[in-house]
Amino acid sequence: MFDLVFWLPVMVGGTLAGASSGLLGTFIVGMRIPFLGVCVAHAALAGAVFGSLCGLEGQALLLPALGGSIVAALTLGLLDPHRVHLDDNAVLSFLFSATMGLAFLGIGLHGVLGRSDNDVRSLLWGSLNFCRWRDVWLMLASAGGLAAYIVIFFKELRAIMFSRLDAEAAGIRVKAVWSGFLVLVAVVLTVNFQTVGGLMIYSLISNPAAAAFQVVKGCRRTMLVSAGFGAASGLGGFLISAATDLPSGAVIVLVSSALLALAAIIRRARLTAGT
Amino acid sequence: MSASVIEADQLQIHAARQCVLDLDRLDISGGTVTAIMGRNGAGKTTLLRAALGFVAPTQGALRVLDCRVPQLAGSALAQFRRRIGYVPQLLPVRGDLPLTVREVAAIGRTGRTGVFRSFTRNDWRVVDEWIERLGLASLADRAFGEISGGEQRKTIIARAMAQQPELLILDEPTANLDLGWRERIVATIQELHAQTAITVVLVCHELEVLPPSCRRVVLLDSGRLLASGPAEAVFTLERIAELYGEGLCVMHQGGRHAVVPVGGEHV
Repeated sequence: MFDLVFWLPVMVGGTLAGASSGLLGTFIVGMRIPFLGVCVAHAALAGAVFGSLCGLEGQALLLPALGGSIVAALTLGLLDPHRVHLDDNAVLSFLFSATMGLAFLGIGLHGVLGRSDNDVRSLLWGSLNFCRWRDVWLMLASAGGLAAYIVIFFKELRAIMFSRLDAEAAGIRVKAVWSGFLVLVAVVLTVNFQTVGGLMIYSLISNPAAAAFQVVKGCRRTMLVSAGFGAASGLGGFLISAATDLPSGAVIVLVSSALLALAAIIRRARLTAGT
Repeated sequence: MSASVIEADQLQIHAARQCVLDLDRLDISGGTVTAIMGRNGAGKTTLLRAALGFVAPTQGALRVLDCRVPQLAGSALAQFRRRIGYVPQLLPVRGDLPLTVREVAAIGRTGRTGVFRSFTRNDWRVVDEWIERLGLASLADRAFGEISGGEQRKTIIARAMAQQPELLILDEPTANLDLGWRERIVATIQELHAQTAITVVLVCHELEVLPPSCRRVVLLDSGRLLASGPAEAVFTLERIAELYGEGLCVMHQGGRHAVVPVGGEHV
Protein backbone atom coordinates (compact mmCIF):
# COMPACT_ATOMS: atom_id res chain seq x y z
CA MET A 1 0.00 0.00 0.00
CA PHE A 2 1.35 3.45 -1.00
CA ASP A 3 1.74 5.55 2.15
CA LEU A 4 1.18 9.10 0.85
CA VAL A 5 2.07 10.75 4.16
CA PHE A 6 5.50 9.11 4.06
CA TRP A 7 6.12 9.48 0.34
CA LEU A 8 4.71 12.98 -0.27
CA PRO A 9 7.86 14.82 0.94
CA VAL A 10 9.92 12.43 -1.18
CA MET A 11 7.86 13.29 -4.27
CA VAL A 12 7.95 17.04 -3.55
CA GLY A 13 11.70 16.83 -2.81
CA GLY A 14 12.40 14.99 -6.07
CA THR A 15 10.29 17.47 -8.05
CA LEU A 16 11.97 20.47 -6.41
CA ALA A 17 15.48 19.08 -6.90
CA GLY A 18 14.69 18.44 -10.57
CA ALA A 19 13.11 21.85 -11.14
CA SER A 20 15.85 23.86 -9.41
CA SER A 21 18.65 21.88 -11.08
CA GLY A 22 16.95 22.28 -14.47
CA LEU A 23 16.58 26.01 -13.89
CA LEU A 24 20.23 26.63 -13.04
CA GLY A 25 21.28 24.04 -15.63
CA THR A 26 20.11 26.39 -18.41
CA PHE A 27 22.97 28.77 -17.64
CA ILE A 28 25.49 26.07 -16.64
CA VAL A 29 24.96 24.11 -19.87
CA GLY A 30 24.75 27.38 -21.83
CA MET A 31 28.17 28.35 -20.47
CA ARG A 32 29.40 24.82 -21.24
CA ILE A 33 30.50 24.06 -17.69
CA PRO A 34 28.26 21.11 -16.66
CA PHE A 35 31.26 19.72 -14.75
CA LEU A 36 30.53 22.46 -12.20
CA GLY A 37 28.01 20.10 -10.52
CA VAL A 38 30.62 17.44 -9.78
CA CYS A 39 33.16 20.05 -8.74
CA VAL A 40 30.77 21.69 -6.27
CA ALA A 41 29.80 18.25 -4.91
CA HIS A 42 33.41 17.40 -4.08
CA ALA A 43 34.06 20.85 -2.63
CA ALA A 44 31.01 20.36 -0.38
CA LEU A 45 32.28 16.91 0.57
CA ALA A 46 35.72 18.32 1.43
CA GLY A 47 34.08 20.98 3.60
CA ALA A 48 31.91 18.40 5.36
CA VAL A 49 34.87 16.04 5.91
CA PHE A 50 36.91 18.71 7.64
CA GLY A 51 33.83 19.85 9.56
CA SER A 52 33.44 16.28 10.76
CA LEU A 53 37.11 16.16 11.76
CA CYS A 54 36.47 19.29 13.83
CA GLY A 55 33.74 17.46 15.72
CA LEU A 56 30.57 18.51 13.83
CA GLU A 57 27.96 15.87 13.03
CA GLY A 58 24.50 15.33 11.49
CA GLN A 59 22.75 18.38 9.99
CA ALA A 60 25.52 20.65 11.34
CA LEU A 61 27.79 19.29 8.60
CA LEU A 62 25.74 21.27 6.10
CA LEU A 63 27.53 24.47 7.22
CA PRO A 64 31.13 23.42 6.38
CA ALA A 65 29.77 21.73 3.24
CA LEU A 66 28.23 25.05 2.19
CA GLY A 67 31.51 26.77 3.04
CA GLY A 68 33.50 24.40 0.82
CA SER A 69 31.16 24.66 -2.14
CA ILE A 70 30.90 28.46 -1.90
CA VAL A 71 34.69 28.84 -1.82
CA ALA A 72 34.93 26.68 -4.98
CA ALA A 73 32.16 28.68 -6.69
CA LEU A 74 33.75 32.02 -5.79
CA THR A 75 37.15 30.85 -7.03
CA LEU A 76 35.62 30.11 -10.42
CA GLY A 77 33.57 33.32 -10.48
CA LEU A 78 36.28 35.74 -9.37
CA LEU A 79 39.19 34.39 -11.42
CA ASP A 80 39.83 36.70 -14.33
CA PRO A 81 40.07 34.52 -17.49
CA HIS A 82 42.12 37.26 -19.24
CA ARG A 83 44.74 37.19 -16.50
CA VAL A 84 45.00 33.52 -15.64
CA HIS A 85 44.81 32.42 -19.29
CA LEU A 86 42.78 29.39 -18.24
CA ASP A 87 39.50 28.15 -19.65
CA ASP A 88 36.64 27.77 -17.12
CA ASN A 89 36.75 24.00 -17.58
CA ALA A 90 40.48 23.94 -16.81
CA VAL A 91 39.79 25.88 -13.59
CA LEU A 92 36.98 23.43 -12.75
CA SER A 93 39.29 20.51 -13.41
CA PHE A 94 41.86 22.01 -11.01
CA LEU A 95 39.20 22.69 -8.35
CA PHE A 96 37.74 19.19 -8.76
CA SER A 97 41.14 17.49 -8.32
CA ALA A 98 42.10 19.70 -5.38
CA THR A 99 38.79 19.30 -3.52
CA MET A 100 38.59 15.56 -4.23
CA GLY A 101 42.15 15.16 -2.94
CA LEU A 102 41.26 17.12 0.20
CA ALA A 103 38.04 15.13 0.72
CA PHE A 104 39.80 11.76 0.47
CA LEU A 105 42.65 13.00 2.63
CA GLY A 106 40.09 13.95 5.28
CA ILE A 107 38.27 10.61 4.97
CA GLY A 108 41.63 8.87 5.41
CA LEU A 109 42.29 10.98 8.50
CA HIS A 110 38.98 9.74 9.97
CA GLY A 111 40.43 6.20 9.83
CA VAL A 112 43.76 7.31 11.29
CA LEU A 113 41.98 9.10 14.15
CA GLY A 114 39.51 6.24 14.64
CA ARG A 115 36.41 8.31 13.84
CA SER A 116 33.28 7.35 11.89
CA ASP A 117 32.78 8.96 8.47
CA ASN A 118 29.19 7.74 8.00
CA ASP A 119 27.65 11.21 8.37
CA VAL A 120 30.00 12.59 5.73
CA ARG A 121 29.25 9.84 3.23
CA SER A 122 25.49 10.15 3.70
CA LEU A 123 25.74 13.90 3.01
CA LEU A 124 27.12 13.32 -0.47
CA TRP A 125 25.25 10.15 -1.33
CA GLY A 126 21.97 11.06 0.34
CA SER A 127 18.92 8.99 -0.48
CA LEU A 128 15.77 10.57 -1.89
CA ASN A 129 13.64 7.97 -0.10
CA PHE A 130 14.63 9.47 3.25
CA CYS A 131 13.73 13.03 2.26
CA ARG A 132 11.53 14.63 4.95
CA TRP A 133 9.61 17.94 5.13
CA ARG A 134 12.50 19.67 6.90
CA ASP A 135 14.69 18.88 3.87
CA VAL A 136 11.94 20.01 1.52
CA TRP A 137 11.64 23.43 3.21
CA LEU A 138 15.42 23.89 2.96
CA MET A 139 15.35 22.95 -0.71
CA LEU A 140 12.42 25.28 -1.30
CA ALA A 141 14.18 28.20 0.39
CA SER A 142 17.40 27.74 -1.62
CA ALA A 143 15.49 27.23 -4.88
CA GLY A 144 13.39 30.33 -4.12
CA GLY A 145 16.57 32.36 -3.59
CA LEU A 146 17.96 31.13 -6.89
CA ALA A 147 14.71 31.89 -8.76
CA ALA A 148 14.60 35.42 -7.28
CA TYR A 149 18.22 36.03 -8.33
CA ILE A 150 17.48 34.83 -11.86
CA VAL A 151 14.43 37.10 -12.11
CA ILE A 152 16.43 40.13 -10.92
CA PHE A 153 19.51 39.50 -13.07
CA PHE A 154 17.85 37.73 -15.98
CA LYS A 155 19.03 40.07 -18.72
CA GLU A 156 22.61 40.10 -17.39
CA LEU A 157 22.74 36.29 -17.08
CA ARG A 158 21.36 35.93 -20.61
CA ALA A 159 24.14 38.18 -21.91
CA ILE A 160 26.83 36.31 -19.95
CA MET A 161 25.52 33.00 -21.27
CA PHE A 162 25.93 34.27 -24.83
CA SER A 163 29.48 35.51 -24.35
CA ARG A 164 31.31 36.67 -21.25
CA LEU A 165 33.56 38.94 -23.34
CA ASP A 166 30.62 40.51 -25.22
CA ALA A 167 28.79 41.06 -21.95
CA GLU A 168 31.82 42.79 -20.42
CA ALA A 169 32.29 44.90 -23.55
CA ALA A 170 28.63 45.97 -23.34
CA GLY A 171 29.29 47.37 -19.86
CA ILE A 172 27.81 44.56 -17.77
CA ARG A 173 29.40 43.87 -14.35
CA VAL A 174 30.06 40.26 -15.33
CA LYS A 175 32.27 39.25 -12.41
CA ALA A 176 29.79 40.45 -9.77
CA VAL A 177 26.66 38.99 -11.42
CA TRP A 178 28.29 35.67 -12.37
CA SER A 179 29.93 35.19 -8.95
CA GLY A 180 26.61 35.83 -7.19
CA PHE A 181 24.92 33.29 -9.42
CA LEU A 182 27.64 30.69 -8.78
CA VAL A 183 27.33 31.16 -5.01
CA LEU A 184 23.58 30.47 -5.24
CA VAL A 185 24.28 27.45 -7.46
CA ALA A 186 26.65 26.15 -4.78
CA VAL A 187 24.01 26.63 -2.07
CA VAL A 188 21.21 24.96 -4.09
CA LEU A 189 23.38 22.02 -5.11
CA THR A 190 24.78 21.47 -1.60
CA VAL A 191 21.29 21.53 -0.08
CA ASN A 192 20.06 19.14 -2.79
CA PHE A 193 23.05 16.76 -2.42
CA GLN A 194 22.24 15.73 1.10
CA THR A 195 18.75 14.77 -0.05
CA VAL A 196 19.17 13.31 -3.48
CA GLY A 197 22.89 12.59 -3.88
CA GLY A 198 25.63 14.01 -6.04
CA LEU A 199 25.39 11.84 -9.15
CA MET A 200 21.68 12.45 -9.56
CA ILE A 201 22.13 16.21 -9.29
CA TYR A 202 24.78 16.13 -12.00
CA SER A 203 22.30 14.42 -14.36
CA LEU A 204 19.51 16.80 -13.38
CA ILE A 205 21.70 19.82 -14.20
CA SER A 206 22.82 18.59 -17.61
CA ASN A 207 20.05 16.51 -19.14
CA PRO A 208 16.93 18.71 -18.73
CA ALA A 209 18.76 21.84 -19.93
CA ALA A 210 20.35 20.05 -22.88
CA ALA A 211 16.90 18.64 -23.76
CA ALA A 212 15.29 22.09 -23.55
CA PHE A 213 18.03 23.50 -25.82
CA GLN A 214 16.93 20.95 -28.42
CA VAL A 215 13.25 21.82 -28.53
CA VAL A 216 12.71 25.51 -27.73
CA LYS A 217 14.14 28.91 -28.61
CA GLY A 218 14.42 31.95 -26.37
CA CYS A 219 16.16 32.13 -23.01
CA ARG A 220 13.06 32.53 -20.81
CA ARG A 221 11.20 29.68 -22.52
CA THR A 222 14.28 27.43 -22.36
CA MET A 223 14.60 28.06 -18.64
CA LEU A 224 10.96 27.16 -17.99
CA VAL A 225 11.05 24.05 -20.17
CA SER A 226 14.33 22.96 -18.57
CA ALA A 227 12.84 23.37 -15.08
CA GLY A 228 9.76 21.44 -16.27
CA PHE A 229 11.88 18.61 -17.69
CA GLY A 230 13.84 18.49 -14.43
CA ALA A 231 10.66 18.35 -12.35
CA ALA A 232 9.20 15.68 -14.65
CA SER A 233 12.40 13.62 -14.31
CA GLY A 234 12.35 13.89 -10.50
CA LEU A 235 8.68 13.13 -10.04
CA GLY A 236 8.27 10.74 -12.99
CA GLY A 237 11.38 8.81 -12.04
CA PHE A 238 10.17 8.41 -8.49
CA LEU A 239 6.68 7.23 -9.55
CA ILE A 240 8.16 4.69 -11.98
CA SER A 241 10.54 3.43 -9.29
CA ALA A 242 7.65 3.17 -6.79
CA ALA A 243 5.59 1.17 -9.29
CA THR A 244 8.45 -1.13 -10.30
CA ASP A 245 10.38 -1.30 -7.03
CA LEU A 246 13.56 -0.19 -8.79
CA PRO A 247 16.10 2.21 -7.15
CA SER A 248 14.65 5.75 -7.40
CA GLY A 249 17.95 7.59 -8.05
CA ALA A 250 18.85 5.35 -10.98
CA VAL A 251 15.37 5.62 -12.51
CA ILE A 252 15.33 9.44 -12.19
CA VAL A 253 18.71 9.65 -13.96
CA LEU A 254 17.45 7.31 -16.71
CA VAL A 255 14.21 9.29 -17.17
CA SER A 256 16.19 12.53 -17.59
CA SER A 257 18.51 10.80 -20.08
CA ALA A 258 15.50 9.45 -22.00
CA LEU A 259 14.00 12.96 -22.15
CA LEU A 260 17.24 14.27 -23.67
CA ALA A 261 17.31 11.46 -26.25
CA LEU A 262 13.66 12.12 -27.12
CA ALA A 263 14.29 15.87 -27.47
CA ALA A 264 17.26 15.21 -29.79
CA ILE A 265 15.07 12.95 -31.94
CA ILE A 266 12.32 15.61 -32.08
CA ARG A 267 14.84 18.24 -33.14
CA ARG A 268 16.25 16.00 -35.85
CA ALA A 269 12.74 15.24 -37.11
CA ARG A 270 11.95 18.98 -37.20
CA LEU A 271 15.14 19.76 -39.11
CA THR A 272 14.38 16.98 -41.59
CA ALA A 273 10.85 18.30 -42.03
CA GLY A 274 12.29 21.81 -42.47
CA THR A 275 10.23 23.47 -39.73
CA MET B 1 38.16 68.56 -37.59
CA SER B 2 36.26 67.03 -34.62
CA ALA B 3 37.91 66.45 -31.27
CA SER B 4 39.91 63.27 -30.74
CA VAL B 5 37.96 60.20 -29.71
CA ILE B 6 41.07 58.09 -29.15
CA GLU B 7 44.36 59.64 -28.06
CA ALA B 8 47.48 57.66 -27.29
CA ASP B 9 50.64 59.32 -26.07
CA GLN B 10 53.93 57.46 -25.49
CA LEU B 11 51.81 54.35 -25.10
CA GLN B 12 53.52 51.05 -24.41
CA ILE B 13 51.91 47.69 -23.77
CA HIS B 14 53.86 44.60 -22.81
CA ALA B 15 52.80 40.95 -22.93
CA ALA B 16 54.98 38.08 -21.76
CA ARG B 17 57.77 40.62 -21.10
CA GLN B 18 57.75 41.74 -24.73
CA CYS B 19 56.64 45.11 -25.99
CA VAL B 20 53.66 44.42 -28.27
CA LEU B 21 52.57 48.04 -28.78
CA ASP B 22 54.77 51.14 -28.76
CA LEU B 23 53.05 54.28 -30.05
CA ASP B 24 54.60 57.73 -29.73
CA ARG B 25 51.38 59.48 -30.67
CA LEU B 26 48.06 58.46 -32.17
CA ASP B 27 44.89 60.50 -32.55
CA ILE B 28 41.61 59.34 -34.02
CA SER B 29 39.12 62.12 -34.70
CA GLY B 30 35.43 61.98 -33.90
CA GLY B 31 32.95 61.32 -36.71
CA THR B 32 35.50 59.58 -38.92
CA VAL B 33 35.97 56.04 -40.19
CA THR B 34 39.52 54.91 -39.43
CA ALA B 35 41.04 51.58 -40.34
CA ILE B 36 43.81 50.04 -38.29
CA MET B 37 45.77 47.67 -40.47
CA GLY B 38 48.96 45.66 -40.37
CA ARG B 39 50.35 42.17 -40.51
CA ASN B 40 49.55 39.48 -37.95
CA GLY B 41 51.07 40.46 -34.59
CA ALA B 42 51.25 44.14 -35.54
CA GLY B 43 49.38 45.17 -32.38
CA LYS B 44 45.97 45.99 -33.90
CA THR B 45 43.82 43.91 -31.58
CA THR B 46 45.99 44.87 -28.59
CA LEU B 47 45.24 48.53 -29.32
CA LEU B 48 41.48 47.79 -29.47
CA ARG B 49 41.59 45.76 -26.26
CA ALA B 50 43.46 48.58 -24.53
CA ALA B 51 40.89 51.09 -25.79
CA LEU B 52 38.16 48.95 -24.20
CA GLY B 53 40.08 48.58 -20.93
CA PHE B 54 40.77 44.86 -21.30
CA VAL B 55 44.56 45.38 -21.44
CA ALA B 56 46.46 47.76 -19.18
CA PRO B 57 49.28 49.85 -20.68
CA THR B 58 52.66 49.54 -19.01
CA GLN B 59 53.52 53.14 -19.84
CA GLY B 60 52.05 56.27 -21.38
CA ALA B 61 48.57 57.76 -21.64
CA LEU B 62 45.46 56.46 -23.38
CA ARG B 63 42.31 58.57 -23.52
CA VAL B 64 39.16 57.27 -25.14
CA LEU B 65 35.99 59.39 -25.25
CA ASP B 66 37.71 61.79 -22.82
CA CYS B 67 38.28 59.03 -20.26
CA ARG B 68 41.70 57.93 -19.05
CA VAL B 69 41.03 54.25 -19.67
CA PRO B 70 43.85 52.74 -17.55
CA GLN B 71 42.53 54.59 -14.50
CA LEU B 72 39.00 53.19 -14.82
CA ALA B 73 37.81 50.26 -12.74
CA GLY B 74 34.59 48.66 -11.50
CA SER B 75 31.41 50.56 -12.28
CA ALA B 76 33.30 53.47 -13.90
CA LEU B 77 34.84 51.04 -16.40
CA ALA B 78 31.45 49.41 -17.04
CA GLN B 79 29.84 52.81 -17.65
CA PHE B 80 32.65 53.77 -20.01
CA ARG B 81 32.21 50.55 -22.00
CA ARG B 82 28.49 51.26 -22.43
CA ARG B 83 29.52 54.19 -24.64
CA ILE B 84 31.38 51.90 -27.05
CA GLY B 85 29.85 49.39 -29.44
CA TYR B 86 32.24 46.48 -29.93
CA VAL B 87 32.04 43.84 -32.62
CA PRO B 88 34.61 41.14 -31.80
CA GLN B 89 36.54 39.12 -34.34
CA LEU B 90 35.37 35.76 -33.00
CA LEU B 91 31.69 35.06 -32.58
CA PRO B 92 30.25 32.43 -30.23
CA VAL B 93 29.85 29.35 -32.44
CA ARG B 94 27.60 27.24 -30.23
CA GLY B 95 24.90 26.01 -32.58
CA ASP B 96 22.73 24.70 -29.75
CA LEU B 97 22.48 27.96 -27.81
CA PRO B 98 18.76 28.83 -27.76
CA LEU B 99 19.09 32.64 -27.78
CA THR B 100 17.16 34.29 -30.60
CA VAL B 101 18.54 37.00 -32.88
CA ARG B 102 16.36 39.55 -31.03
CA GLU B 103 17.74 38.43 -27.65
CA VAL B 104 21.34 38.68 -28.88
CA ALA B 105 20.72 42.18 -30.26
CA ALA B 106 19.15 43.10 -26.90
CA ILE B 107 22.45 42.38 -25.11
CA GLY B 108 23.54 45.80 -26.37
CA ARG B 109 20.84 47.46 -24.23
CA THR B 110 21.57 45.38 -21.12
CA GLY B 111 24.45 47.42 -19.72
CA ARG B 112 22.77 50.69 -20.69
CA THR B 113 19.49 49.82 -18.99
CA GLY B 114 21.31 49.20 -15.73
CA VAL B 115 21.12 46.63 -12.96
CA PHE B 116 17.76 45.98 -11.20
CA ARG B 117 15.86 47.44 -14.16
CA SER B 118 13.90 45.55 -16.78
CA PHE B 119 13.83 46.55 -20.41
CA THR B 120 11.35 49.32 -21.12
CA ARG B 121 9.27 49.58 -24.28
CA ASN B 122 11.81 52.11 -25.52
CA ASP B 123 14.67 49.62 -25.06
CA TRP B 124 12.84 47.04 -27.19
CA ARG B 125 11.94 49.74 -29.73
CA VAL B 126 15.65 50.58 -30.16
CA VAL B 127 16.55 46.88 -30.46
CA ASP B 128 13.83 46.25 -33.04
CA GLU B 129 14.75 49.38 -34.95
CA TRP B 130 18.33 48.16 -35.42
CA ILE B 131 17.18 44.67 -36.31
CA GLU B 132 14.97 46.25 -38.97
CA ARG B 133 17.65 48.64 -40.23
CA LEU B 134 20.12 45.82 -40.67
CA GLY B 135 17.60 43.70 -42.57
CA LEU B 136 17.23 41.06 -39.87
CA ALA B 137 13.50 41.47 -39.14
CA SER B 138 12.54 38.15 -40.74
CA LEU B 139 15.18 36.37 -38.62
CA ALA B 140 14.36 38.06 -35.29
CA ASP B 141 12.81 34.96 -33.72
CA ARG B 142 15.29 32.47 -35.21
CA ALA B 143 17.99 30.99 -32.97
CA PHE B 144 21.31 32.84 -33.36
CA GLY B 145 23.13 29.53 -33.84
CA GLU B 146 20.92 28.58 -36.80
CA ILE B 147 21.56 31.60 -39.04
CA SER B 148 24.50 32.06 -41.45
CA GLY B 149 27.86 33.55 -40.48
CA GLY B 150 27.08 36.80 -42.32
CA GLU B 151 23.70 37.12 -40.61
CA GLN B 152 25.35 36.45 -37.26
CA ARG B 153 27.86 39.22 -37.94
CA LYS B 154 25.01 41.62 -38.78
CA THR B 155 23.25 40.60 -35.55
CA ILE B 156 26.37 41.49 -33.57
CA ILE B 157 26.53 44.86 -35.35
CA ALA B 158 22.84 45.38 -34.46
CA ARG B 159 23.72 44.50 -30.86
CA ALA B 160 26.54 47.06 -30.85
CA MET B 161 24.33 49.77 -32.41
CA ALA B 162 21.42 49.05 -30.05
CA GLN B 163 23.80 50.27 -27.37
CA GLN B 164 23.55 53.72 -29.06
CA PRO B 165 27.33 54.07 -28.80
CA GLU B 166 29.50 57.10 -29.40
CA LEU B 167 32.24 54.91 -30.87
CA LEU B 168 31.90 51.72 -32.90
CA ILE B 169 34.85 49.32 -32.86
CA LEU B 170 34.86 46.50 -35.38
CA ASP B 171 37.54 43.82 -35.15
CA GLU B 172 37.84 42.06 -38.52
CA PRO B 173 34.09 42.24 -39.22
CA THR B 174 34.36 40.21 -42.42
CA ALA B 175 36.52 37.36 -41.10
CA ASN B 176 35.42 33.97 -42.51
CA LEU B 177 32.75 35.51 -44.75
CA ASP B 178 32.34 34.88 -48.45
CA LEU B 179 32.65 37.67 -51.03
CA GLY B 180 28.92 38.42 -51.11
CA TRP B 181 28.65 38.77 -47.34
CA ARG B 182 31.88 40.76 -47.22
CA GLU B 183 30.38 43.34 -49.57
CA ARG B 184 27.12 43.45 -47.60
CA ILE B 185 29.01 44.10 -44.37
CA VAL B 186 31.13 46.83 -46.03
CA ALA B 187 27.91 48.45 -47.33
CA THR B 188 26.41 48.20 -43.83
CA ILE B 189 29.40 49.99 -42.27
CA GLN B 190 29.20 52.67 -44.96
CA GLU B 191 25.46 53.18 -44.35
CA LEU B 192 25.85 53.24 -40.58
CA HIS B 193 28.40 56.00 -40.80
CA ALA B 194 26.42 57.96 -43.39
CA GLN B 195 23.21 57.76 -41.34
CA THR B 196 24.56 58.30 -37.82
CA ALA B 197 27.97 60.00 -38.29
CA ILE B 198 29.29 57.68 -35.60
CA THR B 199 33.05 57.34 -35.15
CA VAL B 200 34.09 53.96 -36.55
CA VAL B 201 37.38 52.21 -35.84
CA LEU B 202 37.83 49.20 -38.03
CA VAL B 203 40.55 46.58 -37.73
CA CYS B 204 41.09 44.54 -40.87
CA HIS B 205 43.69 42.75 -42.95
CA GLU B 206 42.30 43.38 -46.41
CA LEU B 207 42.06 46.70 -48.21
CA GLU B 208 38.88 45.44 -49.86
CA VAL B 209 37.08 45.74 -46.52
CA LEU B 210 37.56 49.52 -46.30
CA PRO B 211 34.31 51.37 -47.02
CA PRO B 212 34.49 54.52 -49.19
CA SER B 213 33.91 56.66 -46.08
CA CYS B 214 37.22 55.44 -44.63
CA ARG B 215 39.56 58.36 -45.24
CA ARG B 216 42.38 57.26 -42.98
CA VAL B 217 44.40 54.11 -42.51
CA VAL B 218 46.69 53.64 -39.51
CA LEU B 219 49.31 51.07 -40.44
CA LEU B 220 51.02 49.25 -37.59
CA ASP B 221 53.99 46.95 -37.79
CA SER B 222 55.64 45.15 -34.87
CA GLY B 223 53.66 47.33 -32.49
CA ARG B 224 54.82 50.62 -34.00
CA LEU B 225 53.08 53.18 -36.17
CA LEU B 226 54.48 52.67 -39.67
CA ALA B 227 52.27 55.09 -41.61
CA SER B 228 49.03 56.99 -41.37
CA GLY B 229 46.87 58.70 -43.97
CA PRO B 230 44.57 57.93 -46.90
CA ALA B 231 44.78 54.34 -48.16
CA GLU B 232 46.26 55.54 -51.46
CA ALA B 233 49.17 57.19 -49.62
CA VAL B 234 49.75 54.43 -47.08
CA PHE B 235 49.53 51.42 -49.38
CA THR B 236 52.07 52.24 -52.04
CA LEU B 237 53.55 49.49 -54.19
CA GLU B 238 56.85 49.77 -52.32
CA ARG B 239 55.21 49.41 -48.94
CA ILE B 240 53.10 46.45 -50.03
CA ALA B 241 56.22 44.75 -51.37
CA GLU B 242 58.07 45.51 -48.14
CA LEU B 243 55.26 44.12 -45.94
CA TYR B 244 53.74 41.31 -47.95
CA GLY B 245 56.33 40.43 -50.60
CA GLU B 246 56.79 41.07 -54.31
CA GLY B 247 54.26 40.30 -57.04
CA LEU B 248 51.32 42.27 -55.70
CA CYS B 249 49.77 45.42 -57.05
CA VAL B 250 47.22 47.75 -55.49
CA MET B 251 44.17 49.28 -57.15
CA HIS B 252 42.24 52.31 -55.91
CA GLN B 253 38.90 53.11 -57.54
CA GLY B 254 35.80 55.00 -56.40
CA GLY B 255 36.91 55.04 -52.78
CA ARG B 256 37.44 51.28 -52.74
CA HIS B 257 40.79 49.52 -52.76
CA ALA B 258 42.08 46.09 -53.67
CA VAL B 259 45.36 44.22 -53.64
CA VAL B 260 45.73 41.68 -56.43
CA PRO B 261 48.58 39.44 -57.59
CA VAL B 262 50.32 40.71 -60.69
CA GLY B 263 50.30 37.17 -62.04
CA GLY B 264 53.14 34.82 -62.81
CA GLU B 265 55.65 34.59 -59.97
CA HIS B 266 53.64 35.67 -56.98
CA VAL B 267 55.68 35.23 -53.79
